[in-house]
Amino acid sequence: MPFITRFDTPGSLRDAPEGSPFYGRWHRYVAGLIARITPGSGGGEFFDPSESDFTAAATRTLVWMGFPRDLMVTRHRDDRDRAFADGEDRSLQEEYLEWRVTKKRGKVTKVVFVTETPDYWIELAAEHPDRVLQLYRELVSPAVARGDLFPSGGPYDPFNQWNTTKGIVHYVQRINTLSAAVGLAQGSVNTGSARDNFDIPPGDQTSADPRVQLDIGTLSRKGLSLTLAEPVGLYIAGWDETGWAKPDGSPVGNYWTIRRGAPGATLRVEYAVPSGEGFVVGDIRIGGRPIRTGGEIAEHLTVMIRGAAGSRRG
Amino acid sequence: MKTDFVAVLQDLAEVREVPLKGIKISSTGGEPGAEMADAEAEPVYGPRVRDDIQGNIIPGFNKDHQHFLFFKLGSAKAARVWLRWLTPRISSMDEVLAFVRAHRSLRLKLGVREPGLKATWVNVAFSYEAIAKLAGRDQADAFDERSFRQGLAERSAHLGDPEDPNAPGHRANWVVGGPENEAEILVIVASDDSDDLAEMVDVITQEATQARMELVFEQLGRTLPGSLRGHEHFGFKDGISQPGIRGRVSSAPGDFITPRYVNAADPHAGIFAKPGQMLVWPGQFLLGERRQNTESMTASAPAASNFPKWARRGSYVVCRRLLQDVPAFLQFVADAAATLGLPEVRVASMLVGRWPSGAPLMRVPDADDPVLAGDEFANNHFLFDDDTRPSGLRPIPGYAGDSHPAARADVLGAVCPHFAHIRKVNPRDVATDLGKPADGLLRMILRRGIPFGSPLAGVKKPSRKLVAQERGLVFLCYGSSIEDQFEFLTRRWANSTIQPNLGGHDPIIGQEGREPRARVVDFPTPAGPVRLHLKREWVTVTGGGYFFAPPISAITDVLGS
Repeated sequence: MPFITRFDTPGSLRDAPEGSPFYGRWHRYVAGLIARITPGSGGGEFFDPSESDFTAAATRTLVWMGFPRDLMVTRHRDDRDRAFADGEDRSLQEEYLEWRVTKKRGKVTKVVFVTETPDYWIELAAEHPDRVLQLYRELVSPAVARGDLFPSGGPYDPFNQWNTTKGIVHYVQRINTLSAAVGLAQGSVNTGSARDNFDIPPGDQTSADPRVQLDIGTLSRKGLSLTLAEPVGLYIAGWDETGWAKPDGSPVGNYWTIRRGAPGATLRVEYAVPSGEGFVVGDIRIGGRPIRTGGEIAEHLTVMIRGAAGSRRG
Repeated sequence: MKTDFVAVLQDLAEVREVPLKGIKISSTGGEPGAEMADAEAEPVYGPRVRDDIQGNIIPGFNKDHQHFLFFKLGSAKAARVWLRWLTPRISSMDEVLAFVRAHRSLRLKLGVREPGLKATWVNVAFSYEAIAKLAGRDQADAFDERSFRQGLAERSAHLGDPEDPNAPGHRANWVVGGPENEAEILVIVASDDSDDLAEMVDVITQEATQARMELVFEQLGRTLPGSLRGHEHFGFKDGISQPGIRGRVSSAPGDFITPRYVNAADPHAGIFAKPGQMLVWPGQFLLGERRQNTESMTASAPAASNFPKWARRGSYVVCRRLLQDVPAFLQFVADAAATLGLPEVRVASMLVGRWPSGAPLMRVPDADDPVLAGDEFANNHFLFDDDTRPSGLRPIPGYAGDSHPAARADVLGAVCPHFAHIRKVNPRDVATDLGKPADGLLRMILRRGIPFGSPLAGVKKPSRKLVAQERGLVFLCYGSSIEDQFEFLTRRWANSTIQPNLGGHDPIIGQEGREPRARVVDFPTPAGPVRLHLKREWVTVTGGGYFFAPPISAITDVLGS
């Protein structure tokens, strides 16, 4: 009997009614991304837990910085302002965290962060287009029209205006997809003749890719069977507000609103100061510096993917 | 074997270094065998340049007696006169390196730890405000390191220091470096001899007084006595792991600033100077020098230029006066040991990642090993994620080789927990929240701290008076970016429960910035992790500052002119 019978939705979301064929459809989509067995170095492997049984010895949560390392460290290591300015471009938000900033009179008033994948929304839209429209109206704007999401009555357009120029619902950056993340994890089990991480070529300039590659590769070299932990998805692990101050210098309150997912495994969170406070996000200082971009907050968000390691049976 | 931690510290054996003897090393030339074919050329720091770099940056004072003087300027004009007086007394890299080499040479030749050489050294560093007053605001603003310009007090809360004004660690209550008592000039005096130290401190303060400078605060630091020499107040050997700075003293073959012992044939020879000591390009510590490539363990990257030209080969200094509450630490260890059913010394050592002697848990998981601790070619030789291979060493006369147990892979942190101090701030081969291990090289700092106060560790039945005395560490480090190095290590790793890897706060230096400031560690046990709550804090910051240690020429030509 396989370890799991059905891949759950990210964050165990229940966007479709219980019993909807969407859940089976999602399971098949995820299962389709994972090979039954991908042999790895040192006798390790990556496997599909819906096809094999498994005894988990440990779970491992792989975390990384939400702001693109390529911008902060590689390209602009001496110009943090430039890195943050460039980071507002979603096509550069490549760490499986995307955000969108709302400003009023030049000041940041709200930032929305998501780790939702286009894969999920495409699959949901294929079964429940009305529900997708309803969710867009709830999450982004009541003004969203069906034709905006399904141009000419055709399939769902992930790059629609309410997910790009006018709002944010899920990833649009080219390599931010669940299939890419699963492919990365699955493809990391083979580390060739490497005997430790210093033997591995440096790889990507991101935080996420080397993090996943090295951690999965390391576990594989130990002869372990590896898979992603349920529910498979990319999540915001948390945020660190240490040293964030109101205009009067006192510590900020809790201005986070989790819209999808849960604390510790968040899919969508909004950061906005309640109107009664008398100031906006752009008035908050992090370590004495005013927030001018979403990236300055994203630096303090941590993204994660969870894996399980153990031994496969059958 | 004693397991009670207090008793262990009472009976702590002095760490015996591997008794190498009869070795002759040249104090002026190199060792050709240390060269690696095809390695990227490293910069040569000739006599003129070595003369210009302050010696506590490279190679570091490392003296048993150090005195820190925190001054505020009175008149800029008078201060400039004082600076011109002080400059000839400032010890350069050249002086300190020559001493270190002579000391090492004599030590190896004679086979003794203390060959009797003595020196007294002085270094100086300036705050942003001091530079603005002495060289002009435009020059101070030309430092693009924003944290430096802001100063430690403004960054304090971001570093996790208390935000409650009533808390002892709140910046308003600091003995120096708070909003009302920020120091502008830091003078570091170091000596092998306490009388020589006092004499130099007296002369400097007298001259400073004449220059209308106000001594805001001073702190005497002293290496702990007896078998605690080199240990910090919780009882653990400190300062074992320091980055190896790339660069040459001369173009003579093998004449490196950091001696190279790993055989060129070793697959990791390009990464390590000696086993466990990772090589880092000098621009990580000296402004304007070639830096570490952001993606590679070995390659360099172009130098930065985001500072005034005269500041080249200077370094940012972070100073934090840290009080250590030894009874609170010991009480936690005793309680945790009782909860876990483990010996106290094991619990305490798992918080640090090393046994009291400095021997790494990764190599000797079951018991302390002072012989391993004293073996400089073995005591830092371990990885975390994979089995550690024996390191190929160049022939080292008198050294029999590393026969200590090899470190075994500890991916899940069962031996050296993810929260352990040495694993938190130096993840070595492990991937982090910023990806590849090469990123970790960008975070390394040169630590130059020293304890202050009388030890409590190992004292049988300490008097109340002794217990009540202040003790701690003058934490001091150098780097070319405060934000990307010291602040990163503190804020992103030590203070986080999930970065670089899940497992809890760094229980030694980590802080939880949010009230009620309670920290956690997920202690590994065979039955799975047990979450321990660290309700008390045993390290409290009580002062400090962000400074810049300029090249010596700039002290006369720019700041003192």
